[in-house]
Amino acid sequence: MIATLNTTQILNDWLLATADDQLILAHRDSEWTGHAPILEEDIALANIAQDELGHATLWYNLLMQLKSENEDYPDRLVYQREANQWRNVQLVELPKGDWAFTMLRQYFMDAYEHVLMSHLEKSQHQNIADIAAKIHREELYHYKHSSAWVKRLALGTDESYQRMQAALNQQWPYIGQLFALAPGEASLVEAGIIPDPAILQNDWQKLVLPLLSTGQLDLPEVSNRFSSRAEHSLHLNQLLNDLQKVFRLDPEADW
Amino acid sequence: MILESESRVNTQENNPEYSQRMAEFEARIARGEKIEAGDWMPEAYRKQLIRMISQHAHSEVVGMLPEGAWITHAPNLRRKMVLIAKVQDEAGHGQYLYHAAETLGVAREELVAALLEGRAKYSSIFNYPTLNWADVGMIGWLVDGAAIRNQTMLARCSYGPYSRAMVRICSEETFHHRQGKEMITHYAQGSQVQHDMAQDALNRWWWPTLMMLGPHDADSPNTGQLIRWGIKTKTNDEVRQEFIAETAPELIGCGLTIPDLELRFDSESGKWLHGPIDWEHFWQVVKGNGPMNKERLATRQKAHSEGQWVREAMVAYAEKEGKIADGYAMAAF
Amino acid sequence: MDTQWPRFEVFKQDAPNQPYQNVGTVHASDGEMALLNARDVYGRRPNCHSLWVAPERAILKVTAEELGNAQIQQKIAEARMLASSELLQNYYVFQKVSQKRTMTFVNYVGGVQAASPRQALALALDRFSQAEVWVWWICPAEVVAASEPGVEDSWFAPALEKVYRQQSYYGKVTRKRRDERLQIAQQMSQPQAQTKNEVSK
Repeated sequence: MIATLNTTQILNDWLLATADDQLILAHRDSEWTGHAPILEEDIALANIAQDELGHATLWYNLLMQLKSENEDYPDRLVYQREANQWRNVQLVELPKGDWAFTMLRQYFMDAYEHVLMSHLEKSQHQNIADIAAKIHREELYHYKHSSAWVKRLALGTDESYQRMQAALNQQWPYIGQLFALAPGEASLVEAGIIPDPAILQNDWQKLVLPLLSTGQLDLPEVSNRFSSRAEHSLHLNQLLNDLQKVFRLDPEADW
Repeated sequence: MILESESRVNTQENNPEYSQRMAEFEARIARGEKIEAGDWMPEAYRKQLIRMISQHAHSEVVGMLPEGAWITHAPNLRRKMVLIAKVQDEAGHGQYLYHAAETLGVAREELVAALLEGRAKYSSIFNYPTLNWADVGMIGWLVDGAAIRNQTMLARCSYGPYSRAMVRICSEETFHHRQGKEMITHYAQGSQVQHDMAQDALNRWWWPTLMMLGPHDADSPNTGQLIRWGIKTKTNDEVRQEFIAETAPELIGCGLTIPDLELRFDSESGKWLHGPIDWEHFWQVVKGNGPMNKERLATRQKAHSEGQWVREAMVAYAEKEGKIADGYAMAAF
Repeated sequence: MDTQWPRFEVFKQDAPNQPYQNVGTVHASDGEMALLNARDVYGRRPNCHSLWVAPERAILKVTAEELGNAQIQQKIAEARMLASSELLQNYYVFQKVSQKRTMTFVNYVGGVQAASPRQALALALDRFSQAEVWVWWICPAEVVAASEPGVEDSWFAPALEKVYRQQSYYGKVTRKRRDERLQIAQQMSQPQAQTKNEVSK
């Protein structure tokens, strides 16, 4: 076991990336509150958004702990960074789209978090293992919810099928980035801190491909275009403008 | 489930059986018994309740919008989490209230259609815009604070499903009020930017909140009957007085100024005296000419119409799988 | 007309030895979605251990007042006489027995086997009558969908940590005491005697 207070720049970057994925996804999910197709889903997706926000906070807090930062560190990370300093995958920063788009993206990320946490629960880094256990139990519920939706929309009407296929066509090129190994991360894999992305991708596909197939959805032919998490689309700029707007009115204040 | 013979009696006011039923009905209420779906009730009671409960439900649903608009701008992680939870609760409250209305024999499809087609009323407080972040806290403190008073009263209502929905809502609403008070108190004593933001919010939300508590007693013809039927226990002016007595000192105590130059406390009567309420403005907003009436409805119409393919797809799937709930034989006498 | 999906009554069990209690309904397109919706609508605050959902229209509901009606009594008597060679099914019986202030409605009291919902009601009236029953519900067991045993950790336990939904989380902001409020009120005995803050336009 690695002593919990040891950390490296590479581990810090990995933690930041993991937190950023959840934060941006939570933000996109929360945009639906008040606009969902039916009241029950305003409530359901708001639960998911709160959970993801909670997951992000757990990772940011660990980062704060490992770097011995002050307790305002998570807020500073979220409210003071520019787009080029964020490390989320591009999939989560894409606009929320229609309900099919959101449910499919949620499904891909729930499946990803589910398999990732399954591995991280056995991480050699105790803090990471503890957080993963906590997150995992919430992800089991998320996975049930989003997989139920994807299946039903794919098999529902012609229109819902077409919208789900369109969402798949848009999102599939972004999937590869989830399983890309950043420079230096091989050492984290060797140390048993994070799982081998190849294994992760395999586990993820074992879940996802059968469901997409049940839905009779066609996988687009694409190759992965993105590798660096430092690359972002203009969507992230727009998102951060929204996110940081009030804070920036008085960055010195305690909000 | 009402037998055919019953529904005739419900409306025949000259029928001697009707007077007897009415006497028994009012005696039950006087004994503190809840009236449940299936029990005899006068048609006027049923209609009054459907109107009240559905308006309350619509208010919660529309009420998601003014604060929901600020979720993406919440200035720290904690406030963001809290606001998502609060707006989520508003959806939940709408859900509980639609349920209560449905027990009286009206379908949610009808209620939703009435709202979106502009035929239904909802609390006009939500036809005001939220212009800055502190509005979120001010709504929590003032609007939810005022609503809690009414809700506590309504939890004693004689109709079971409404009473139970209100008890659940009351238990959830307390954090809404608290988080707003905490935010505004913090900002009022915070930086100049924050203080000014809080004061600006108060300037715009004070009067609409007073108006939200309803017309003066002299202008409220329904009150008497509502009190007799255990649907209301205090008059509008009584609730308004209690609201000012609690809230005004706290707002002043944290350094904010209430936008009523005539507001004063009369030691002899122990009552707060306030300036005249601009009812003309209030009625304009109620009639649909408020600053945000059209936008609020348009937003809900958009969510509804863009969600139509979703609702239909889910039904289509259930039908294909033979799972449609409506396929069950209806259980009735 | 638009669909808001059918209604499902929701029953919540707060802890392992507590009865299932009706808490309200959810709209859902099928039983599995109804369970998920019920968890989000009714399980986001503690305490929830297990959920049942059942299509609203499949439940036979009758009040004590309705039971006093001669027509209904006759129909129950007829149902009681149904031949026992008819296929028997399980029915869940729920009752409302209190007039106390509450957010829950009928409670599960037990099951009967019967050839029809009305016969189930007749048997329930025999078997489960007690001093004051205000409302009876009879629900076929086969239409009830339940949350799977073992999901508590993922479905219900997380609610315990969402303390920001409780008013006590905002504890430092309490109500001013009556004497404090009176003191401020006394200072406001003249109009316009408010603090230095300008009322901005």
